[in-house]
Amino acid sequence: MTTADTVRRPGRGRRLPFSGWHLLLAPLSMGFALPLLWLLASSFMTNAEINRFPPALFPHGIHLDGYLYVLRNALFPRWFANTAIVAIVAVLANLVFGSLAGYAFARIRFLGSRVLLAVMLATMVIPFQITMIPTFLLMSRLRLTDTLGALIVPSLVTPFAVFLLRQFFLRLPPELEEAARIDGCSRLRTLVSVILPLARPALATVAALTFLTTWNDLTWPLIAITSDHQYTLQLGLATFQGQHRTEWPAVMAGNVITILPVLVAFLLAQRTFVQSLTSTAVKG
Amino acid sequence: MLRGETTRRGVLLGATAAAATALAGCGGTGGTVHGVTTIVLWHGQNDVAKATVERLVAEFNRTHPHIRVRASSGGVLADGMLQKVMAALAAGSYPDLAYVFGSNLANLARSDKVLDLTEQARDPAFGWADRWPPARAAASVDGRVRAMPALLDSLCVVYNKKLFARSGVEPPRPGWSWADFTTAARQLTDRHRGVFGTGWPAVGDEDTVWRIWPMVWDLGGDVARHGRPAFGGTSGLRALDTVARLAADRSVYIDTQTGSDQLYQVFLGGSMAMVPTGPWQLPQVREAKLDYGVVPMPTYTGRPLTISGPDNWVIFDNGRDRAAAAVEFARWLTAPKQDVRWDASAGSLPLRRSTARQPAWRHTVAGTPGLQVFVDALTTARVRPTIRAYPQISRAVGEAIVSVLLGHATPDAALSGALAAARTALASSL
Amino acid sequence: MAKTFAVGYRARETATVRRTRRDRSRVGGTPTAWLFVAPAVVIILGLSIGPMIWSLLLSFQSADLVTPARWLGWHNYEVLATDPTFRRAVEHTLLYTALFVPLSIVGGLGLALALNRRIRLIGLYRTLIFVPFVVSAASQGVLFSFVFDAQFGIANSLLARIGLPTQGFFADPNEALPLLVAIGLWSGVGFCVIILLAALQDIPPELREAAIVDGAGRGAVLRHVVLPTLRPVLVFLVVWQTIQALQVFDLVYVTTKGGPLGSTVVIVYFVWDQAFQLFQAGYGAAAAYLLAAVLLAASLLLRLYQRIRKA
Repeated sequence: MTTADTVRRPGRGRRLPFSGWHLLLAPLSMGFALPLLWLLASSFMTNAEINRFPPALFPHGIHLDGYLYVLRNALFPRWFANTAIVAIVAVLANLVFGSLAGYAFARIRFLGSRVLLAVMLATMVIPFQITMIPTFLLMSRLRLTDTLGALIVPSLVTPFAVFLLRQFFLRLPPELEEAARIDGCSRLRTLVSVILPLARPALATVAALTFLTTWNDLTWPLIAITSDHQYTLQLGLATFQGQHRTEWPAVMAGNVITILPVLVAFLLAQRTFVQSLTSTAVKG
Repeated sequence: MLRGETTRRGVLLGATAAAATALAGCGGTGGTVHGVTTIVLWHGQNDVAKATVERLVAEFNRTHPHIRVRASSGGVLADGMLQKVMAALAAGSYPDLAYVFGSNLANLARSDKVLDLTEQARDPAFGWADRWPPARAAASVDGRVRAMPALLDSLCVVYNKKLFARSGVEPPRPGWSWADFTTAARQLTDRHRGVFGTGWPAVGDEDTVWRIWPMVWDLGGDVARHGRPAFGGTSGLRALDTVARLAADRSVYIDTQTGSDQLYQVFLGGSMAMVPTGPWQLPQVREAKLDYGVVPMPTYTGRPLTISGPDNWVIFDNGRDRAAAAVEFARWLTAPKQDVRWDASAGSLPLRRSTARQPAWRHTVAGTPGLQVFVDALTTARVRPTIRAYPQISRAVGEAIVSVLLGHATPDAALSGALAAARTALASSL
Repeated sequence: MAKTFAVGYRARETATVRRTRRDRSRVGGTPTAWLFVAPAVVIILGLSIGPMIWSLLLSFQSADLVTPARWLGWHNYEVLATDPTFRRAVEHTLLYTALFVPLSIVGGLGLALALNRRIRLIGLYRTLIFVPFVVSAASQGVLFSFVFDAQFGIANSLLARIGLPTQGFFADPNEALPLLVAIGLWSGVGFCVIILLAALQDIPPELREAAIVDGAGRGAVLRHVVLPTLRPVLVFLVVWQTIQALQVFDLVYVTTKGGPLGSTVVIVYFVWDQAFQLFQAGYGAAAAYLLAAVLLAASLLLRLYQRIRKA
């Protein structure tokens, strides 16, 4: 339990024997990847090729028209930056506020804590579509509509982050922090220097899921944002699909470009949250 | 990790820039400061139309120093505008002008925040009478002028000459009938080559529905009359029978994708012989280098008749100064000189008769084969009534059309279902 | 991650142990605790309680968001009770949930078991199966509208190529909802896989080895060692996936818009449609509240059940 420190297994580069499982796993994982491979392939097609009958599986030669259309859009870097700002701020805020609240709910007994936690969790069952308008109203009162603030504020901390971190903190042995507290550390110091370093897997999970949700959100930006220099990537992509004309290669290319950062973020986080768990288990 | 480093730096740089603007508060709020009234426009356009409207706005701002128009798409394209405007109205912080689909005006106009332009339209200088009747009708609710026409179109049939020649089918001519249409569609369909006679959007939204109204009108029916649905009996039934014919012949490409884009792509790809569409499709048709022709819609009775589905600039009341500035801008934007530039890029027909006489418009027409057919069709074009129950009626009729297209219901059964729903909607909207 | 839930829910941790732990760390707790939870409480409740009350009031009104609303009492709820469209939306939602939740969890478990071994390329397999989870709903919409276009999509083209009958997909009212479930699974199963995989790797190998030494077969190990250890994680996944499934909206919005013929109208889509297409926001809010009430009741029941089991 106390061995949450990552121990790199030497197994990575080692030759492993061929296994019958390949026969199952190879086609299965290809099946999952296939639609995305088609997305990738179609981002290199021309508009005519995408709409050809019978449909083309592979582009005839690499056409970069789609990518050029996207990158030539002067605002695209801006959208990318906007999305990154919103996602990164949301991630950091969730980590900070989620840890604070999660720790308090896990470790400190105070009046009403159970009810408070239950109520906060209960809000997860309310679909966003019904609180969308009043939330917009609120943002408009705060004079945040059409700013990145309107996108950031509602995602500063989610009940999910609080819940997940609380669950994680609950299982850490209290003796760990008691030592620190006897040394005279404040709650905050204890949290920062003792608890959080042990909570890397949970923090990585919160970070990855928050990044994913904010990066991919379209419903809320669609309501909250109006000026094109405040767009997020999803919003920008949505306006590529025109009323009477759509540059499909551009839409496909835009999607590819948009998926890549989340993919990278997740692969990085996945290493932390799967491997640090794995190391504790496999080490034995 | 070199790549990662550079992108991270890029993100940071961009982050700072964007954060700065975010703080500066680009809320798009209007108001009057030092004699300059700032108003907010949500145009809902992208691509060429967006470029044009923003160029026009810049010109207006230059020539009208006392008004500053802040233009943006509104964060949505026209089809998402309704949701946006409703959220804005509910929050009490709305733009001064927004581009809204014609079929939504009646419901929006119930809000007293939507300006009533009736009195101003009486001024001859307003040029209200110069606007085409369909445009005027679609901007009026209960006899009051509640919006400024923004886009005018008409439905005609664009056909692929090459496919007609290949199948040896006579190209359509004005005055043709729906029987001619279905027969031609059947003959032109070639399953091995993946060629369809025609296409019909089948999401069940307004794009599915508006195509059936000219058929209903032609047969003496209507959307509603005296608070009751008026597409029952032979008018609705024969129209749906025609749809059923196309479906049974499998000569119609049924597009279930939202936005109907696929349908037009099939036509542009040379795999569809005829498509009922508006003038806004012509630029793409020409870009695709299709050898095409345009004819008026077929009819049952031989009397030429079509539908026009105009869109509007809805003007909101943000106080006297801003309202006046918004009206001034809308009048300027739809004046013949600007109108002609807007029309060409947005794919609109001239909003006003005098625009059609402008040399620039004549030039556009001369350079665009078939465009004149759409203009001429305006004289026989009707519009959907601007009634509050329309969205519900449209939903019911859309369902009927789709169920017939997919072979899930007979025209009879589909029609009675739609009539019942429309009756309820009309009764509860009174 | 799995461990997180695993231990949180771990019933082994008896109430007495927990109580002593808390008492020991209570000293001077309350003000600090409030300081710690304040940001989260203010943001989460501030952004939900107000809006929830707002839409609760809305649900008792005839409101179109455009004109002043009229108080109707329970009328909206009464109409809902007999609205066939709403009933179908409920049916579709339940069907979607009934398919999506068990399939994603059982499928996720199967995949996690298969992926929980050290063979060559295993990292690649895991990544490929997980990647769809990061694809946004909007991208999925664009992608699958193309792939499953009845006439021009590659799905039918592939079916034809291997000699199978082509399908209507989104053009067929009988196929559209199952297809949405399939797409939901494609993107949602990765989440279950990654959590279950972490949980599986969390099981001490000695436990399995001991069972095998005792002569247990693979099936017995799965049933008596693996599944009991995974139970807390599985409970979490059931709750989480159920919430996700009952609130499904984005996928419908970007692919079918409820069609064809209303065959994919789910509750949240119904709510959105009423508010933003049909000018009946009050009516839509009533529908949303019915959903929320059912969800709350369900989670309370679940808690009750857990408590009874523990006792």
